Amino acid sequence: MTALAERPYGRAGGGSRRGPRSGSGFALLLPALVPVLVFSVGPLVYGILLAFTDARSGRNTETSFVGLENFAELLSDGDFWESFRIGMIWGLSVTVLQFLASLGLALLLNQDLRLRGVARVLAVVPWAMPPVVVGLMWRLVYHPDAGLLNGLFGSDVDWLHDFSLALPAVIVVGVWTGMPQTTVVLLAGLQNVPRELYEAVSVDGAGPWRRFWNVTLPQLRPVIVAITSLDFVWNINQFSLVYVLTQGGPGGRTRLPMLFAYEEAFRYGFFGYAATLGVAITIVVLVVLGLYLWRQAREGD
Amino acid sequence: MKRLSAALAVAAVALAAGCGSGGGDGGGDAAPGQNGEPVKLRFLSLAWQKESIEANKQIVADWNTANPKIQVEYVQGSWDNVNDQLVTSFEAGDPPDVIHDDSPALSSFASRGFLLDLTGKVPAELKSDIPQAAWDTVTFSDGKSGQGVYGVPFLQESQVLIANKKLLDGAGVRVPTPESPWTWDEFADVAKKLTKKGAYGVAWPMKSPVNKVLNLALNFGGTFFDTQNGKTTVKVGPQEREVLQRIHDQLYTDKSADPSALGMGTADPLPGFFAGKYAIVPAGVYLRQQVAEQAPSGFEWVTLPPLKGQTSQQGAVSQTLSVAADSKHPDEALKFIAYFLNGPNQAKLAKGDWLLPTSTTAAKDPALTTKENGWDVATASAKDLVVAPFLKVNGFDEWKSKVATPAMQEYFADKISLDELANRLVEEGNKVLERYSR
Repeated sequence: MTALAERPYGRAGGGSRRGPRSGSGFALLLPALVPVLVFSVGPLVYGILLAFTDARSGRNTETSFVGLENFAELLSDGDFWESFRIGMIWGLSVTVLQFLASLGLALLLNQDLRLRGVARVLAVVPWAMPPVVVGLMWRLVYHPDAGLLNGLFGSDVDWLHDFSLALPAVIVVGVWTGMPQTTVVLLAGLQNVPRELYEAVSVDGAGPWRRFWNVTLPQLRPVIVAITSLDFVWNINQFSLVYVLTQGGPGGRTRLPMLFAYEEAFRYGFFGYAATLGVAITIVVLVVLGLYLWRQAREGD
Repeated sequence: MKRLSAALAVAAVALAAGCGSGGGDGGGDAAPGQNGEPVKLRFLSLAWQKESIEANKQIVADWNTANPKIQVEYVQGSWDNVNDQLVTSFEAGDPPDVIHDDSPALSSFASRGFLLDLTGKVPAELKSDIPQAAWDTVTFSDGKSGQGVYGVPFLQESQVLIANKKLLDGAGVRVPTPESPWTWDEFADVAKKLTKKGAYGVAWPMKSPVNKVLNLALNFGGTFFDTQNGKTTVKVGPQEREVLQRIHDQLYTDKSADPSALGMGTADPLPGFFAGKYAIVPAGVYLRQQVAEQAPSGFEWVTLPPLKGQTSQQGAVSQTLSVAADSKHPDEALKFIAYFLNGPNQAKLAKGDWLLPTSTTAAKDPALTTKENGWDVATASAKDLVVAPFLKVNGFDEWKSKVATPAMQEYFADKISLDELANRLVEEGNKVLERYSR
């Protein structure tokens, strides 16, 4: 979103009014900074510190620093790697599928269709639903006896409890949930593509496919990079949706890293170890994102 | 200059507000019930069946009228998220005073010091009304070196068989009684006889197989855990394998059990049961409530007593009432519990939940021994309940959800062999248990 928002205002920032900003600027920032420090940075630092302790749930437990012991345990924890693998499959496939589906939808909604306004509103509806509601709704869709899906196909499949189907079934829901914001952002990007460019390539005799490949995609590039990276972060940290749908089952087949961390902390009471998990996932997300953005930036040049 | 000072003022206000809200509360309403004010207790109840909620609320209301000095607030909880709710409220130091839960959950809360040790505090009348076997289900290590009683057990569940009477009569099989129940061999034969085209003798709903298997395994003396010198390990020997093997045989050798029922929760086979697709459904006694309520008119069903291996013994867990260690009024809380769980009230609660009371006076209540809805068979099965061995195992919950549930599900789905299952239960299981002995 920011990439888009900045464009029209880009010039104003470099304007002539450079008042006495060094002192007052900070003071103006302070009211906004305090909540960030108290509610964001504080817990974050606490969480990171916790990752280096053996903190456990309990009334009279003693907590001591254990250095990197938790991280060592993490590296040799088969359950963690399994959960990590599932998280990666989930994060990547949801993001990619979401992007492809949303791009198609955005292109469609960008056409001069009848009832375009209605269609656009409908496309955004899932956005208005909290993940828990989405989860409950899809649980009904997937219900083995009374579900819409089995009713439609006349099949007798227990989608969310089948060992091999559960993850794909959950991924479909993830794609569905995340589509609105991706679509809206891509649609906004599409509308920002200058018409002259299309006219120019049409004059050169380009068909729809070439127009898409040579004009639309390159023009959309910054938007695509921004939304896919945001989506990836969002998806890999997804919790509530899967928690409602499967609670990580069957047999851990949909146990995303965040669910795993939650279980460690609130079910088994290993707070320190759960914090380590959180830190590890943050590092992984940063690394993946860093690589991706770095490559995109290089190619963009 | 004006702008700067204005900004600073805003910042100062924000800071003050931020700090104020941080440490403000706390000591406010902690004053105990002196100066004539009634003591307030919060009672977290997990009742969920309609009749049961009514019974719970009724007893609380009766208490509140009789005891103006000790007022109890009924708080509705849910089995689905009670663990999360309790962990967070325990950690925050503001738990409900009286807590309804079940004994498997108590063990880990007890070892973390969240629950009050009730040893010597339970009134004699209540203590003697509940048999020692039930008290065993709430006696746990205190996390250091001692043992304590961390709840009052009140409702128990046994595994019975619920059967379609017409199909049983049609096949001409012997109807078992509590005095002479079916053995597992006889059960296998009956199930084969009842299996016809499009209909199965039995449906094993195995969405959560672990407790079911472990409780039934005691029929053949299978305990699954072995504690020596304070160190607990998993064991899967011939005794533990019996029940696993027999259920597996029904599914894949005799083909008298429907494999597609495996993913179901306990109540899910009922539509098939009513339609005659399954002749017998093994279930906890509470399922009778749903059968009685949902059965189409004219549908005849019977409750059959638990199966017999070498014995009819089953592992039992109890629903419990506990007092939080952080409760400010533990004595009042215990008084309330003693009233809530006296004989007549337990009979009401048992009827409401279709479970078995631990109270010996409640078990004699005519409503719990009538033939109607199989109460006589259900209540008789209580005599074979013994404390489930897994109750005392620290880390059982993690073993169950990380190791045993997926492994057993795969075994029953015929994806791994019994040897492989045993291997995983033991090896991965012991790794899990080790975390808790540190």
